[in-house]
Amino acid sequence: MSGTDRKKHLGSLALIAPLLVFIAVFFLWPLATMMSQAVSDTAVLKLLPQTAAASRGWDPETPPTAEMKAALAADLQAVDDRQALGDMTRRLNSAQAGFRTLMSRTTRALRSEQVPDLGEIDERWDDPRYWQAIVGALSPTTDRYLLAAVDLERDVSGEIVAMPETASANRAIMLRTFWVAALVTVACLAIGFPYAMLIASTDGWKRQVLLAAVLLPLWTSLLVRTAAWFIILQDNGLINTILVGLGLTGGPVPLIFNRTGVVIAMTHVLLPFMVLPIYSVLVSIPDNLMRAAASLGAHPMRAFLRVLLPLSLRGIASGSLLVFMTAIGYYITPALIGGAGDQMISSVIAFYATGSANWGMAGALGIVLLIVTILLYAIYGRLSSAEERRG
Amino acid sequence: MFQGLRLSFGVLAVVFLIAPLVAILPLAFTSSLFLTYPIPQLSLRWFDELFTAASWKRAIFNSLVIGGGTTLLATVLGTMAALGLRSWRLPFKGTVRTLFLLPMVVPAVVMGVGMQVLFVRLGIASSYLGVIVAHTVVAIPFVVVSVIGGLGGIDQRVELAAASLGASPLTVFRRVTLPLAMPGILSGAVLAFATSLDEVVLTLFVAGPNQRTLARQMFATIRENISPAIAAAAFLFIVGTILLAAIGLLIRARIKARRGV
Amino acid sequence: MSDLRIRFDHVTKFYGSLCVVDDLDLNIAKGEFVSLLGPSGSGKTTLLMMLAGFERPTKGRILVDGEVVDDTPTYKRDMGVVFQSYALFPHMTVGGNVAFPLEMRGVGKAEIAERVAKVLDMVQLSAMRDRWPAQLSGGQQQRVALARALVFEPRVVLMDEPLGALDKNLREQMQLDIRALHNRLGLTIVFVTHDQSEALTMSDRIAVFNKGKIEQIGTPQEIYDHPQTRFVASFIGETNLLEGVIDGSAGNSLRVRLPDGRQIAAAASQALSTGENVLVSIRPERIRLDDLHGGENMLSARVADSVYQGNHLRIQLDQGAHNFVVHLDRKAEQHPPGADVVARFQPDDCWVIRA
Repeated sequence: MSGTDRKKHLGSLALIAPLLVFIAVFFLWPLATMMSQAVSDTAVLKLLPQTAAASRGWDPETPPTAEMKAALAADLQAVDDRQALGDMTRRLNSAQAGFRTLMSRTTRALRSEQVPDLGEIDERWDDPRYWQAIVGALSPTTDRYLLAAVDLERDVSGEIVAMPETASANRAIMLRTFWVAALVTVACLAIGFPYAMLIASTDGWKRQVLLAAVLLPLWTSLLVRTAAWFIILQDNGLINTILVGLGLTGGPVPLIFNRTGVVIAMTHVLLPFMVLPIYSVLVSIPDNLMRAAASLGAHPMRAFLRVLLPLSLRGIASGSLLVFMTAIGYYITPALIGGAGDQMISSVIAFYATGSANWGMAGALGIVLLIVTILLYAIYGRLSSAEERRG
Repeated sequence: MFQGLRLSFGVLAVVFLIAPLVAILPLAFTSSLFLTYPIPQLSLRWFDELFTAASWKRAIFNSLVIGGGTTLLATVLGTMAALGLRSWRLPFKGTVRTLFLLPMVVPAVVMGVGMQVLFVRLGIASSYLGVIVAHTVVAIPFVVVSVIGGLGGIDQRVELAAASLGASPLTVFRRVTLPLAMPGILSGAVLAFATSLDEVVLTLFVAGPNQRTLARQMFATIRENISPAIAAAAFLFIVGTILLAAIGLLIRARIKARRGV
Repeated sequence: MSDLRIRFDHVTKFYGSLCVVDDLDLNIAKGEFVSLLGPSGSGKTTLLMMLAGFERPTKGRILVDGEVVDDTPTYKRDMGVVFQSYALFPHMTVGGNVAFPLEMRGVGKAEIAERVAKVLDMVQLSAMRDRWPAQLSGGQQQRVALARALVFEPRVVLMDEPLGALDKNLREQMQLDIRALHNRLGLTIVFVTHDQSEALTMSDRIAVFNKGKIEQIGTPQEIYDHPQTRFVASFIGETNLLEGVIDGSAGNSLRVRLPDGRQIAAAASQALSTGENVLVSIRPERIRLDDLHGGENMLSARVADSVYQGNHLRIQLDQGAHNFVVHLDRKAEQHPPGADVVARFQPDDCWVIRA
């Protein structure tokens, strides 16, 4: 590399560096934080720091040492967060049955002036199994959120098993997310493909109008569009007013706070992402190909099936991926237009993070969503770079 | 018959795309407490509410501050990076570019969870800085894409010509590259502002009650107690969008006309 | 005329208020190679598009084998079209492209394979059968397009500037190849081009288009040697045009008076009477240069410029000889700029056109 080249190189690097640092700190680091939340579990560790120190090096097969018991007693006496204590007890109880009664008896006893040996409060404190549960919960990393994200848990013996039907909800929510996203993708394709063909087959002002009709919603605030659908779809909204006014239906048709409303609104929001990639592929197909097919004896329908459709498949695939990928991460539209039964994975993540401060679960579900999205994006990137190479 | 089918499909599709945006506009001028048709009487009461009610006023102010900050930060960082990427010939170029575009792809909720936790640790949670930084992350891809697009349209030989005519690299940049890249930079800035203005999800995660933006306020209004103030706000958004688009097109047309392209 | 294949009958085409083909008549016989030659926008491509069925005449009708085809959709017209940019299907192999018209006609698999092999052999592309169009060179793509248009043995083959994208050598080779195929298979070919040398090389007849009308139609030799209009004279090859007035005739020779009073003798081509305004066309290669004065049809001038062009010398004279351009054999003696010369030409080489 010559001197000027190196100088140029350093210059470019200096230009890129600020954004690189910014993205690393405020984009990648948050993602890493989210992921570490999903596997970190310091709730118990925070409550029982002395116990953690005392039980280091303890052989789980042997009875607990006196030192450990004293440390636990001191930790429990120092706890002033009853909520956290309750959470911890519930967790320990799920790992080792009987913890609930043991803990309430112990804390009650610890309230008295002199501190008795734990073994005197309850003989179970001499049983290594209870201590194994505590030591297990003290570990700062855990896979239970990740397992719970896909409705799995560890049973008492540490085996990974499916959650009981009543406790499992996440898999259903993911399936629902994919299902809604698929419905929206199909709806977008059903409208978007013919629409893109329509744009490509017109010219002059007609093409401009058709394109503007796609671009205008794209430029308009997502919130405005969602609000608009809220107004149109509500029970006394525009559609129902018209339907009832025409006497087509007796009462309002439920269009909002249900699946129908979500799919309609999301289709509207995401339609441009389907139309534009297909359109750009269609206009890149020379129009003399269809002429050639006709001159070679192909009926318009056969020409469409044999020439236009195969050539536009790439656009269809790109558009569908883009719509599906965006749809599975959608939060605002389902949150505002959907009912309780239409909440998608993003809503659940937001609920865990902002509603119940359960960042472990939020992170675990976030990882699942992130992985799926990145995978779809990778496929999309492959498709569009192949497109570039060909073009 | 085929022609008729085409026409009716086209009309229906355009109606589906445009009607919702049109339908919400008149409701901004309703005198009613409800967002329903028919409108009993025309009134500006909801615009009045927008500009006088403390929560809306505050939200508009916040949106302008945060939008302005985001535009500045994202445009400066994004433009610099796009310029750097242009002349950078390294195998990692593609990777870096993808990295800069990734915030557009990663679901906002996922970023939000991480930012919420991290920003508390960094001490910028519930602060203007925190919200601006979060919005900048999602605005960056738009700036990078449009500046790279703008730069891509520049014939590199023009810069070589400037250099051959005796311009130093800095002068070439200042007098040739930057003016030619300006349309891309400007549209990047507009997009950055629009992105910030419309951002809800990250705001939910990182903003405190003092940083409630207009979009956040609209979200809460739709969710909790929907009122025609939302239509008035939407009216402002749509008119603003059209104005911005018109200004953008005008600038572009002017530049084109001047350069005779 | 039993061997009439195509007949354009008062065909007119408007785009909006713009008339691109103006009340045009043209007959093409079976097995004939007719070139439509003209500058861009002269209506030649539009005429081809109407023949193929991509466009509809605004007025008039087109007959193929005696039947009006205006209501026949393209796919039923049975015409092979070779497009300007080939229009090969990028998602089909060479074999797939060539098989396409046969599939559309419901030809059986075995027969398709056989006919595809035969036609690919004919255009010397047998080895390329399983390649994709993008993997071929321009010339190969052109030959695939040709094979695809020939394989179903259409009544007519239409070619729209098919050689425009090829470089000069390849283009000249393809001209000969297409010409040979035409002779061998007895094809009826309508060939659109703006390249006059291409039209001269390949055609049985050339129709010269200008502003939606046919200026002249005839064999290449007629078109070149005996242009009927100023447009044809100047569009086909380089020529020197002089304005003048008929001064009188003697036998089969005409006297034309130039504006400067000088007279030249020309062969009588058509009945022209004294006093008529005419143009005299003299091809640059028909002019000789020497330094002897005297005799008829001589103009003394000074050489303004002399350019070596490989197979000939191109000499530009000054206004003494009406800025004549002269092509001399490359071995001719040098005439450096500034040299005094006398330009001389035979009456037989002066072609008179009514102005």
